[in-house]
Amino acid sequence: MRKVFVSLFVAILSLMLLLTGCGGGTTTPTTPPPTETTPPPPAEKIVIGLQAPITGDFSAEGQWAKQCVEVAQDLINKAGGVLGKQVEIVVVDDGSNAKDSATAAQKMISQGLKEVIASYGSSVTRPAADLYDKNKVVSVGYGCTAVSLTMETQRPYFFRTAGRDDTQSEFFAKFAVEKLGAKKIAIMHDNQDYGKGVADDAKKFLQPSIDAGTTEIVYFDAITKGQSDYSAAITKLKEIAPDLWFFTAYYNEAALLIKQAREMGFDVTFVGNNSVPTPDFEKVAGDAIKGTYMLNEPMPQFLTFPESKTFMDAYKAKYNELPGSIWAVYAADALNALCAAITKAGTTDPDKVAATMRTMTDAKGITGPLMFTDRGDRKNIPYYAYLYNNDGKLELFWPK
Amino acid sequence: MDTLIQQLINGLTIGSFYALVALGYSMVYGVMKLINFAHGDLFTLGSYIGYTVLVVGASWVTATFGIWGGMAIALVAAMIGIGVAGLVMERIAYRPVYKAGRLPLVVSALGMSFVISQGIMAIWGPNPQAYLSGWTPKDFLQFGNIRVPVLQIAILVLALGLMALIYWLVERTTFGAAIRAAAQDRDTATLMGINFNLIIFFVFALGPALGGMAGVMQGLKYTRISFNMGWLYGLKAFTATILGGIGNIPGAMIGGLLLGVMEALFEGYVSGAWKDVFIFLILILVLIWRPTGLFGEKTAEKV
Repeated sequence: MRKVFVSLFVAILSLMLLLTGCGGGTTTPTTPPPTETTPPPPAEKIVIGLQAPITGDFSAEGQWAKQCVEVAQDLINKAGGVLGKQVEIVVVDDGSNAKDSATAAQKMISQGLKEVIASYGSSVTRPAADLYDKNKVVSVGYGCTAVSLTMETQRPYFFRTAGRDDTQSEFFAKFAVEKLGAKKIAIMHDNQDYGKGVADDAKKFLQPSIDAGTTEIVYFDAITKGQSDYSAAITKLKEIAPDLWFFTAYYNEAALLIKQAREMGFDVTFVGNNSVPTPDFEKVAGDAIKGTYMLNEPMPQFLTFPESKTFMDAYKAKYNELPGSIWAVYAADALNALCAAITKAGTTDPDKVAATMRTMTDAKGITGPLMFTDRGDRKNIPYYAYLYNNDGKLELFWPK
Repeated sequence: MDTLIQQLINGLTIGSFYALVALGYSMVYGVMKLINFAHGDLFTLGSYIGYTVLVVGASWVTATFGIWGGMAIALVAAMIGIGVAGLVMERIAYRPVYKAGRLPLVVSALGMSFVISQGIMAIWGPNPQAYLSGWTPKDFLQFGNIRVPVLQIAILVLALGLMALIYWLVERTTFGAAIRAAAQDRDTATLMGINFNLIIFFVFALGPALGGMAGVMQGLKYTRISFNMGWLYGLKAFTATILGGIGNIPGAMIGGLLLGVMEALFEGYVSGAWKDVFIFLILILVLIWRPTGLFGEKTAEKV
């Protein structure tokens, strides 16, 4: 009897592993590990890695990134591929955390990949970017916007298609002071790379107005990520009574914060940053989203380039909706940038691809021209403020 | 003053969740001397069972029984479901290794924790789910500057009521005396005619059932549920258990409520960023001065 139970237990365990353990493991790479003396034999396909948070806190973003990259891959392959070869994507899950991110990067490197797309979340991307860089693998981030990623250390093989936080913080200062005329500003972050980075920069860019005496920061503190109850922090904020509340971290906490704040009758103007406006935010926060402002790089539904239309049509045809966030679209653009650079360089050699990424000026992406600075940052990313109107739909608010 | 009262209410609410989960830890530890690491995940499973009842029944449950009836059904379903899950877990993961000593038991508990959380992910998916706003009442009571949702009051009353019930059951009834006797000395209690298997059955049904109900309450109150949220609640409830004295029923309740209130006050008056540091500092201090927790037994037990 006891043996039956133990075997049942083991059987359930292995079933779980089968069901969940190998998400994204369906594609196998065909490139053999390269040797140092002889160049690898020409592969049938060009294999590019996608490191994404398929599980964990950002799993929604990871799924969208995967879907977007696959749609972009289809478009590229239908147009004849890269260097006459078909593009293949290998997906590895980084579990939305830094520890698994390093493991995921090791996995990519050991498979002999030369170009990867990685990843969402600045804290998650950092250890992977270090590993890729050390092993001379070109990596392109799509949802990592912490300034320090490119400005603290120069990683010759790291790029990102997303903008940088200080662009957002600078825009926030302008929006809060010039457009909304806020006098008492509360800034709340989550003590993580990304959230704290945006918060610190926002403070920096507000400094001129603070010095001029027109604006003050009345609250600057962090909440703990991953909690369910933020009523203590909200009560404190409510007592301080700011005119404007800027939350600089992710959508999960933002949704709970705004919902609980409105439940407690706290009607302050809420500004969310670029990782907040997602379907998950709308679902959890419910009616509380109405009248909140969101800062973002152009959102999927507001993109106007010809490439965006082709991409969005293909995506809609496959999934019957638009990508849930701009970050997933940036992942598709990371693939476009890599493919453009490989085509231009005529090789997948990481040194040549990295050099081409820095100099190319004619690559067209879904989110505009794909050009990068020497540090690996994307050039020319515009910012907008959006408003959730009374129907709970986003509309462009400023600048029109 | 208003702010202080508001913070106390906030703290008591979150603290009552910790306390309900902590009770399960403490009861199982008291009788089995086992730290049931899977307990936090049973809490999550309860939350998902309540969610499923409300989603599958969709408009029907809420339309037929009203908002309050719908919530009550979700709570009862989670209570029964998790009670059964607790019994099954004891049967397949703990009983076979019970004689092998405490270390294999703990490893088995950790394994069970993974099985449950990954199982939830396999069934309901890795994305967080949300209790829809139509399932819960929107009314609130206004006292001057303080606004308290009716739902929050109901949850607080229910949680405190459940705790009172458990307290009465364990401390005031003959059956409770049997549980306490079994916790103190299993062999002697058995010699006195106490059915130890019945006691195990009871703690493994009731402890998890409380956690499961707390899971539904957390979903109703905070909307968002995710497959891995049990970890944080498990950790906090475990802390509360240690704070109150592990194996001690009133200790677990007071520990949970105290933890919630301390968190709220520290976050409200000092800094949210340092909250967890502060909580664990307090825990360390308590353990230095009272190694068995605030309400723990006088004699420290060697593990």
